[in-house]
Amino acid sequence: MSSQAWTAYATEGVRKLTEPRTIAKLGIAWGILAFWLALPPWTVRGIGAPLAAGVLAVACGAAVIPRGERKLGWWAIGLGIAGTLGAAWLQGKDASTLDSILTAGVLASTLRFATPLAFAAMGGIFSERSGVVNIGLEGMMLTGAFFGIWGSVWSGSWLVGLLMAMLFGGLLALIHAFFSIHLRADQIVSGFAVNFLALGLTGYLYSSIYPGGIHADVSRVPQVGLGFLDGIPGIGDFLDGVFGRLNLLVWVMFAVVILAYVVLFKTPIGLRIRSVGEHPRAADTVGISVYGVRYAAVVTSGVLAALGGAFLSIGFVGSFAENMTSGRGYIALAAVIFGKWRPGWAFAACLLFGFGFALAIPLQREADVSENLVSAFPYLLTLVALVGLIGRSIPPAAIGRPYVKQ
Amino acid sequence: MPDTPLLELRGITKRFPGVLANDHVDLELVKGEVHALLGENGAGKSTLMNILYGLYHPDEGEIRLNGKPVRIGSPRDAIDLGIGMVHQHFMLIPVMTVAENIVLAVEPTSGPFLDLHAAEKRVQELSTQFGLAVRPDARVASISVGMQQRAEILKALYRGAEILILDEPTAVLTPQEAKELFAIIRSLQAEGKSIIFITHKLNEVLDIADRITVLRQGKQVDTVPREGATPEGLARLMVGRDVVLRVEKPEAQPGDVLLDVDNLEVRDERDLEAVRGVSFDVKAGEIVGIAGVDGNGQTELIDALTGLRRPSGGRISVGGKDVTTAGARESLDLGVGHIPEDRQVRGLVLDFTLAENLALHDFRKKPDSRWGCLFPKRIVQRAVRLLKEFDVRGGGPQTRAASLSGGNQQKVVVAREVSRDPRVLIAAQPTRGLDVGAIEFVHRRLVTERDEGRAILLVSFELEEILSLSDRILVLYEGRIVGEYPPGVSEEELGIAMTGGRRQAA
Repeated sequence: MSSQAWTAYATEGVRKLTEPRTIAKLGIAWGILAFWLALPPWTVRGIGAPLAAGVLAVACGAAVIPRGERKLGWWAIGLGIAGTLGAAWLQGKDASTLDSILTAGVLASTLRFATPLAFAAMGGIFSERSGVVNIGLEGMMLTGAFFGIWGSVWSGSWLVGLLMAMLFGGLLALIHAFFSIHLRADQIVSGFAVNFLALGLTGYLYSSIYPGGIHADVSRVPQVGLGFLDGIPGIGDFLDGVFGRLNLLVWVMFAVVILAYVVLFKTPIGLRIRSVGEHPRAADTVGISVYGVRYAAVVTSGVLAALGGAFLSIGFVGSFAENMTSGRGYIALAAVIFGKWRPGWAFAACLLFGFGFALAIPLQREADVSENLVSAFPYLLTLVALVGLIGRSIPPAAIGRPYVKQ
Repeated sequence: MPDTPLLELRGITKRFPGVLANDHVDLELVKGEVHALLGENGAGKSTLMNILYGLYHPDEGEIRLNGKPVRIGSPRDAIDLGIGMVHQHFMLIPVMTVAENIVLAVEPTSGPFLDLHAAEKRVQELSTQFGLAVRPDARVASISVGMQQRAEILKALYRGAEILILDEPTAVLTPQEAKELFAIIRSLQAEGKSIIFITHKLNEVLDIADRITVLRQGKQVDTVPREGATPEGLARLMVGRDVVLRVEKPEAQPGDVLLDVDNLEVRDERDLEAVRGVSFDVKAGEIVGIAGVDGNGQTELIDALTGLRRPSGGRISVGGKDVTTAGARESLDLGVGHIPEDRQVRGLVLDFTLAENLALHDFRKKPDSRWGCLFPKRIVQRAVRLLKEFDVRGGGPQTRAASLSGGNQQKVVVAREVSRDPRVLIAAQPTRGLDVGAIEFVHRRLVTERDEGRAILLVSFELEEILSLSDRILVLYEGRIVGEYPPGVSEEELGIAMTGGRRQAA
């Protein structure tokens, strides 16, 4: 690159850095840092450092509000104050208690809890971006969980288990697709029907195929050991604790999130899916098959949700229980909406929910708070964030509306 | 070689349940011509073009392209044959950019990825080649209707269209934008494109078309060259009888001031100033026309006058009584009649019967109801009388409003408003989307009502309508009245005032 190009590049970078929006985001980061400083791994004792970070956050916020970035600016100020107060409050807490709650293990288990949600959420995004509401994610996950373990027990190979999960999840999605696309049934009703169908079917098959439970040694999806992480100086322990022994499916999930983003926003296929979800008639008049795209998207969502379910049965625990998904499909759907139908944001929402689940266990142990109360925390956080930071979530325009060909 | 037409439609017949939408229609298109398809609403123009574009399939008849019969089963087939269509309701996705909309389904790629830069570049090239100014990277939701239409045309050209179907393209445009569109059509014609132009507006046909095919009730009535065609002759072909195009009205006899608006200020949904200090009055027995381009405060002004929106400042009085803060019902009771801008959203409850729709204002009072009970029979009796008086066709008192044609729906709205004997009648776009026959009816009725001593405020985007009906003309621009003109003013002068060039006449 020539020096001229570099200069232009640098000027552009500086301009971006001095934009009010960037500064406001920086302020928000400072505000979060103010609170985080009092937590592991830093566990700073003394109010000086958090206070400094908090003041910086408020300063950033105050600087950008007159320049038009009002909402983010107020968030920076609010987070700066709340973060500092929170850190001050944490000063009174025993550092070792905090350490035992917020460990690398909690982060690793956040990822484990987020994985089934993220698979289903990515599926939900495909389906809903094409204009089909998919309440049936729950049932598709459950189907995946059961047929995953069934395939694994029957063949002795987890790979076959995954394939079976995907196959039957896809088939169930096909039913939902047929009802809501061809028969133009109400998509919510159809989705619920799919959920009840899955619940009944897996419950029946489980008790008739495995009357005494599953005793056989189930072939499970292996863990991926990354021993070298340990060797990284300083944060090696921590990294190893989080990423060192994750299930293969967690890594697959990361790939699926990235792939979902790329497919939806960087390829012609994604443009077509989105066009069908926004304005099916417009898509039809340029020769895109609205039904075809919707079928493909809904079946994809079933396959992905089933992978999430299979992670529960043959990735995480290695067994099956009736209704073992227990509402995770609905949580994934909430993540889709919370994440504005965007893979990255939806994944972030899944992490938030996963963090809530992961935190519930040590919090209950250490603080003697009811687990139910603690697990309500992330949802509360979601509501607050949804109202303030994210703003109104605008769904695809044609969502839930069956398309009638002329 | 004008002897082999580029496109021929022969004996096209299309039946819908209960309706013969196209009855053995023939149409031929010569390369490089602008062919107007003229007819009233419901004459079968759009059906015929949807057949040509593959959205409908004809029950009988054949389509020939360059002399060879072709089968058009889907829009894809039509596109492959070089036929492009700009629909009346644009087929654009608001949240996507102009370039994304244009390349949809024929996207340029690099590897497996969408190449948006290439798309924008290609759109820019086409835009320059045909003189269709668009911003390729702008979101459709944020650009003007005129630019959206240009994007639609580019969408067809990008797909290699040689034949362009424009379905009522001027219906959504301001007069200025319509002029630009005509210039574009001429330049497309110069590039050798052939154009089918669907409309029910006579002046447009005479402006732009080389030949004119007239449809009436699904039948092709005639195809005539523009030379020698007259508005009267075309109107007769369209409607099947003589139509009076010019509104004949005696001199106005203005009486007392009935509607008095003083320094009115109104804010819109986003709490921005939409009407900024407007003052005018309307006297008994006169029609005051408010001209202006859509979005200059008309909607907010009408809402405030009819009690649907509370003004943020100023005063409104009807017959000397202050109604500034009155709600819609009070304002109705005080004698304000309202023919709303959008009859299907605000004028009628589409799922109600005509009788119910006609009773919407007075159902609470005798004779419609008493002691909180409705008397449906009386409501129906009145409906029978009104439907007859206002010549509503296509249904009786128990017909659902949704099943009537636009013109007849509008007659129902007019009947309801006028029959309450209002002192002030506010008519917003009273003939939007109506065909000549229905326009004639509404215009005549407005003049009759004026002569009975009502004060009529006419708000319209159609200059022609303003000019032919009004006794005084006010121009609304950016929420202010920028001029008052006598009815004899030229269209050009009004046009200039409407777009902000402040040249006061008097």
